Amino acid sequence: MQKSRSIWLPLAQVPIALFAPASYGATYLTLEQAQQAIFPGEKLSQSFINLTNQQVQEIEGRSDTNVRRKQIQLWKSTNGGFFIVDEVVGKHEYITYAVGLNSGGTVKQIEIMTYRESYGYEVRNADWRAQFVGKSASAPLKLDKDIKNISGATLSCRHITDGVKRILATYEVALK
Amino acid sequence: MKSRSSELRRARPLLGTIVEIGARGPGASAGIEAAFLEVETIHRLMSFHEIDSDVSCLNRAPLLTPLAVDPRTYEVLTWAQRISALSEGAFDVTVGAELVAAGFLPEPANSEYPFPEANFRDLSLLPDNRVLLKRRAWIDLGGIAKGYAVDRAVMMLKQFGVVSGTVNAGGDLLVFGAEQPVHIRHPEEPGLKFPLGKVLNSAVASSSGCFSAREKIHAVNDPLIDPRRNRRVNWRFSVTVIAACCIVADALTKVVRLAIRQAPRILSQFGARALIIDRRGLRIFPANENDTMSSALETAARVVNAETRASIPHQAVTGL
Repeated sequence: MQKSRSIWLPLAQVPIALFAPASYGATYLTLEQAQQAIFPGEKLSQSFINLTNQQVQEIEGRSDTNVRRKQIQLWKSTNGGFFIVDEVVGKHEYITYAVGLNSGGTVKQIEIMTYRESYGYEVRNADWRAQFVGKSASAPLKLDKDIKNISGATLSCRHITDGVKRILATYEVALK
Repeated sequence: MKSRSSELRRARPLLGTIVEIGARGPGASAGIEAAFLEVETIHRLMSFHEIDSDVSCLNRAPLLTPLAVDPRTYEVLTWAQRISALSEGAFDVTVGAELVAAGFLPEPANSEYPFPEANFRDLSLLPDNRVLLKRRAWIDLGGIAKGYAVDRAVMMLKQFGVVSGTVNAGGDLLVFGAEQPVHIRHPEEPGLKFPLGKVLNSAVASSSGCFSAREKIHAVNDPLIDPRRNRRVNWRFSVTVIAACCIVADALTKVVRLAIRQAPRILSQFGARALIIDRRGLRIFPANENDTMSSALETAARVVNAETRASIPHQAVTGL
C-alpha cells in the first residue's frame, strides 16, 4: 500500500486553454421515433391546438411556469392518450422532448428528442479570450461530433420538470 | 471512424438530471428500455423526497428495529458503509440533517429531528437485507446512488445482449464493450471541455462546486457536506474519479475532496485514480506513478503530457 501524501504533486499542470470551447448536442429521436417509443403500434392523429389568452393565464397560474407558445403540438392516440412535443429553453440549453399522457391525464412516458447546449463563452479575462482569435472564428458555434460523453457537474432537469408541470396544467385546462 | 449509426441513444429526465443511454447490439432497444426502468426503480427506492422510498422509510423507522429494504438499497448502503469506514467518516450517508438544514433537501415527514452527533456508525447492516438505526439520523444517498444507477443500467444492457454502450447520468458515466471518447466539463466554464481520452470498461464521475457557486440552479444539485464537521463545504476545485464501477467513482469524488490524506490509499484500494481541476489547471491525483493506474487514466495522462508539450500559450492559465 502506498503512503498517504499530504502534499499534492502536480504530475502535469495543464493550461486551461486545453479546454476547448465546443458545443455539445445530440439528437435522440425523430418525431416518428418518439411517437413509436411512447405509443408503440398505435396510430396517432395530429390535432394541434391554439390556446386562448384566458387558457394561457390559467395554465400559468396552475403550473407557476411561463407559457412561451400558444400553439400546442398535440397528437391523439387511438386509445385516448395524448402525445405532446414541447421545448424548454434554459440559460444554456435547448431541449425538445415528447410527453405521452394516458387517457386519464397521467404521464405515461417522457423522451428527450434533441438536446443542445450553447454557451456564450463570456470569459472574464480579455487576454484569455484573445487566444482563440484567429484560430477559427466559428469555433465556438461548431458542434463537435467527437464530444458525446461528458463527465462533469450535474446538469439539472429542472426545466423539463417545469415543462411537464406546464403540460399537465395544459391537459387540465385545454384537453380534458 | 466507425459509423455511429448502429448505436442507439436515448435520454430521459431521471434522478434529477438527464440520463443518457447508448447501446449497440441486437438487444439494444429492449436493453435500453430495461435499463431506464432500472434507473427509475433505483430513483424510487433511494429518493430522499419520495415518501415511500426505502430511504424515507428508514429515516422515519423506529430506532433499534430492523427494517427490510430492497437488495439494491442494501447493496448501496453496504458500499457506503465500506467507504465511510475507509475514509473515517469523510464519506457518510447520514448527512441528511445538514442537507435539510442548508435547504437542499426537504424535511422528512413524520420523523423526529436527528441526533446531532449521529453518523454512519449508527447504521447497522443485518443479514437478509435488513438495516437498523441506533440513533436517529437522516440518510441521504445523493452522493452514491447515481453511480449505482449507472452500474445497474449497464448490467441490464449486458443482460439484454448489448455488446457495447454508455450510460451517463448527468455526468457520472460508464463506458463498456468498446472505447469511447470522454470529455470533462470545465467546472467554471461549462462550455469548455477537456478531452480525457478514450475510455473503456471504466466509470468516470465528477463533482464540482465551482459550477454550483456560479449557477444558482445548479447549486441545488451538488451540495457537499463535511460529515465530520456538519458543515457545508465550498468547492474550490472539481474532482473527477476514474474507477472500474460508477458507484465507486461517484462516492470517491467526495472522499478526494473531504479526505485528501486518506484519498490516495482509498483510491488505490479500488484501483481508481483522480483528476483535479482548479484555477491553475488540471493534475492527476495522486501524483506518483504506480501500477494501480487504470488504463483509462494512462490514456488521460498521455493526452495531458502530449498537449502540455505543445505550444499552448502559458498566459492562458492566468486568465482564470
